[in-house]
Amino acid sequence: MLVNRKLILAHFWLAFAVFGIALTLGAWQMFIRSPIGTWLSNPELYYRSLTAHGTVMGYVFPTLVAMGFGYAISESALQQRLVGVRWAWTGFWLIVAGSVMAVIPIALGRASVLYTFYPPLIGNVFYYLGVVLVVVGSWIWVALMSINLRVWRKANPGAPVPLAMFANVAGSYLWAWTAVGAALELLLQIIPVAAGLKNTIDAGLARIFFSWTLHAIVYFWLMPTYIAYYTIVPRAIGGRVYSDSMARISFILFLVVAMPIGMHHTFADPQVGAGFKFIHSAFTALVALPTLLTVFTICASVEIAARLRGGRGLFGWIKALPWDNPMMLALAFSFVMLGFGGAGGLINMSYQLDASIHNTQWITGHFHLIFGGAIVIMYFAIAYDLWPHLTGRELIDVRLMRTQLWLWFIGMIVTTFPWHWVGILGMPRRMAYFDFGDPAIAPQALSVTFSAIGGFILLASGIMFIVILARGMRAPQVDAGPYRFALAVHEPRTVPVALNTHALWVALMIALTLTNYGYPILNLALSSGTSVPAVYVGAQ
Amino acid sequence: MSTQDTHESVSAEVAARVERRWATIAVIIIVMMALLAAFAGIHRATMPQPRVEITDPSRLHLSGEFVESNLGSVLEANGNVTVRAIGQQYSFTPACIVVPADTPITLRATSADVVHGILIQGTNVNTMLVPGYISEQLMRFTKTGDYLMPCQEFCSFGHEGMWGKVKVIDKTEFANRAKGGGRLSCVGQ
Amino acid sequence: MSARDLFTFSNPHFTRGVGITAAILVVTAIAGFIVLPFAQPWVQFANVWDAICSAAGVPQRAASVTAPDQTKRLSEVVLTSNTLSRPSQEAIGRGATLAQRCAICHGPTGISRADSPNLAGQYAAVIYKELHDFRSGARSNAVMSPFAVNLSDQEIADLSNYYAYLPRLPAYHPTPQLPKPNIVIYGAPMRGIAPCGSCHGSLDNKTGSPWLEGQSEAYMKAQLQAFASGERRNDISQQMRNIARAMTPQEIEQAAAYYASQPPDVVKAVD
Repeated sequence: MLVNRKLILAHFWLAFAVFGIALTLGAWQMFIRSPIGTWLSNPELYYRSLTAHGTVMGYVFPTLVAMGFGYAISESALQQRLVGVRWAWTGFWLIVAGSVMAVIPIALGRASVLYTFYPPLIGNVFYYLGVVLVVVGSWIWVALMSINLRVWRKANPGAPVPLAMFANVAGSYLWAWTAVGAALELLLQIIPVAAGLKNTIDAGLARIFFSWTLHAIVYFWLMPTYIAYYTIVPRAIGGRVYSDSMARISFILFLVVAMPIGMHHTFADPQVGAGFKFIHSAFTALVALPTLLTVFTICASVEIAARLRGGRGLFGWIKALPWDNPMMLALAFSFVMLGFGGAGGLINMSYQLDASIHNTQWITGHFHLIFGGAIVIMYFAIAYDLWPHLTGRELIDVRLMRTQLWLWFIGMIVTTFPWHWVGILGMPRRMAYFDFGDPAIAPQALSVTFSAIGGFILLASGIMFIVILARGMRAPQVDAGPYRFALAVHEPRTVPVALNTHALWVALMIALTLTNYGYPILNLALSSGTSVPAVYVGAQ
Repeated sequence: MSTQDTHESVSAEVAARVERRWATIAVIIIVMMALLAAFAGIHRATMPQPRVEITDPSRLHLSGEFVESNLGSVLEANGNVTVRAIGQQYSFTPACIVVPADTPITLRATSADVVHGILIQGTNVNTMLVPGYISEQLMRFTKTGDYLMPCQEFCSFGHEGMWGKVKVIDKTEFANRAKGGGRLSCVGQ
Repeated sequence: MSARDLFTFSNPHFTRGVGITAAILVVTAIAGFIVLPFAQPWVQFANVWDAICSAAGVPQRAASVTAPDQTKRLSEVVLTSNTLSRPSQEAIGRGATLAQRCAICHGPTGISRADSPNLAGQYAAVIYKELHDFRSGARSNAVMSPFAVNLSDQEIADLSNYYAYLPRLPAYHPTPQLPKPNIVIYGAPMRGIAPCGSCHGSLDNKTGSPWLEGQSEAYMKAQLQAFASGERRNDISQQMRNIARAMTPQEIEQAAAYYASQPPDVVKAVD
């Protein structure tokens, strides 16, 4: 029973509103630096847009989706009214305040440092403070997820935690811990310099702190998607989850191994020792495991739905799936993009293969494919699935939903595949314009043009998405019934304590962080002579 | 009741076995990939730099390895070549790096101000330049040719203009040029 | 379902979870810190401890290197964003007094009527650097070198603070009367030239890069040519020589003409 619908809707609406703005900026960025745009006479505008796009898409949009979805899961899966609603609203307003505080300096061109804010480039202090506020708001959500689960456990001692909530809380703990890296970088290093209290900063240490956050944050973004894979899609297409315990193990593996692997983002950095690069590389290989497990379990779960509908044969059952159901489409598209994006990820995590494409447009193509593609298309699906339960009105235009999803999928392929290709050709990242007339890079022009066209397809799809949701606010009323999650083929009556609690895995996550990050951080933090002068951006 | 339970527990076992088998396959795939990476790294000499070395970016021009007269390519006694370069807002020095083909080359570079990157297009020579730290990468070109060398990390508003060049020339031609001592570059050529 | 049931070796999940994690950690640590370092024949380590420390990333200072002698004197100024960032009123006052002797060429208001550069509103770090370089011989000019040789560090700082305090000439490029050359607005990326404004202040100021708006055309052209030929070499690590060398002579003329544009109401020194 979803009681706090306004709370959840507020999170989703704000998420999708800022998503729409950032998506528009993204399409403009693709256009303006492609052969079909003219060179910006003020390249700072490109970097300003890039900062806004990255900050919103990375720090604000997915956080709000995870939070809103998390509140919905807490109430529905636990069948318990949300405890701490006032705190939840406080968290929401903190995010609003932080976003506004950050966006103002960005819009004024005082914080064009990009969302990775690599010092010693330093922007306006309020940009960084705004990001900190957003993170603090999200930590309130983390606390509430933990508290709500504890209240439920007291009322249901020994009972198996519903899978959706188990995964949701795991994701929240992962986020809380992974945000600490960027928080330390901001609070201990960047903000004092931006505020004028210091004027030197250890750029290498800052990159290490940021790498702590930079990888696991994508798993935080990924959690709602995987929760939807396991607990929404099987139900929506009339199937069952193949294995409840494997699902739990996958989420547990994410909780433990997503975090202490961030230094594969610093493979090419000179301030990290080769031994630690190797350890992180090995553990990064491990994090492929839960995704491989998930792909198997979800395919098996989907096959169950197909065979229940009369599907036959080794692969013939695929035809029997409910392809007119937007949830089925979203899952299929997500898996295709996950396959390609995941393969790209395997390349990135291998030091030797990464050397060819590090910081080229391959990387940008990769994370747009996996995040903008595989992950965000499931955010759409989650919204479509939840909307009638939040608004009390039905989403009528199923055909439009399918079209929107098709456009997003096609748009993402058209945008990101050529992007990967130009990355292999060596096109560098983050440039406001390129001289495609020069014969050395002229071969890249056509691919970049395709990507720009893809950007417009995505924009159209994004607009469609918002129109569908807006229409859904005014559609005929309907009683969608209680929000339900997928059942497992073998619903667990009891679950081993390690698969029903998080303490052990959080402890392992923290322990691995200490072993994998402890020395590199302390090493540089305690070294004198590694700090360099700050370079303030936009000083005129 | 018992047949239902038995049936359920049998199928639960089947499911568990199938999942375990897949998990084993997945682990084997991953381990193989990791071993392949380690092998490729050693066999092809593409390993991360072996040490962390620190320096002071605002004083590079005063003393030490990256003073202006020491930037460029130098032929070492053992026939290898060392290239020293600086990345700064918004150019590399030397702006055109000249190296011989078929020779082990060590690139040593650092940043004079903010984070830059060095990428030699068409190769896997690709490293970050973080102010305060020295980057080192090994490279070897099998044939002669010209390459573009853009900066691949945002270094503020002139980043889009930061493109260097690399010229790979014949080994003997390089040796001839290197006879006079000093540091070579192809700046102005 | 208490913590005691979870954190105990009789719980197989605990044992397996902790055991596998610890095993992977130990194996990869040995591989990364001992095996792999020694498997690289192209790297030399003094001993196992050296290999472990290097793999861990203990910061080392590079061994000192004998660099070839600099044949000519180069700039020895160290510039950061902190250089002269907080001028006091006294410093500016002292600078005003000192600037009286600069006024003959650079104008009483810091805006020159001849081809000597305008100094009014110039970034303090720029004047600071150029005076130091004139004094040390990293930059030489028949008129400036004798003036600079007699300045103390304090006087150089005061002069810099004073001129920075004066209002600078604004950018004045009304289109379409005066064209905006591509080399200035866009640079020439493939030749490694960023837009001028990315350092020279209209987009961003890189510390030490002068404000160019309204500057003497002849002066700017002469400096660009001097950088291009290498005759002027006080740009730290060749940052302007890299640019000027890659510019064509026409581009140098266009850039100088562009920046020389001044609004019609500029007050210059009277004759």
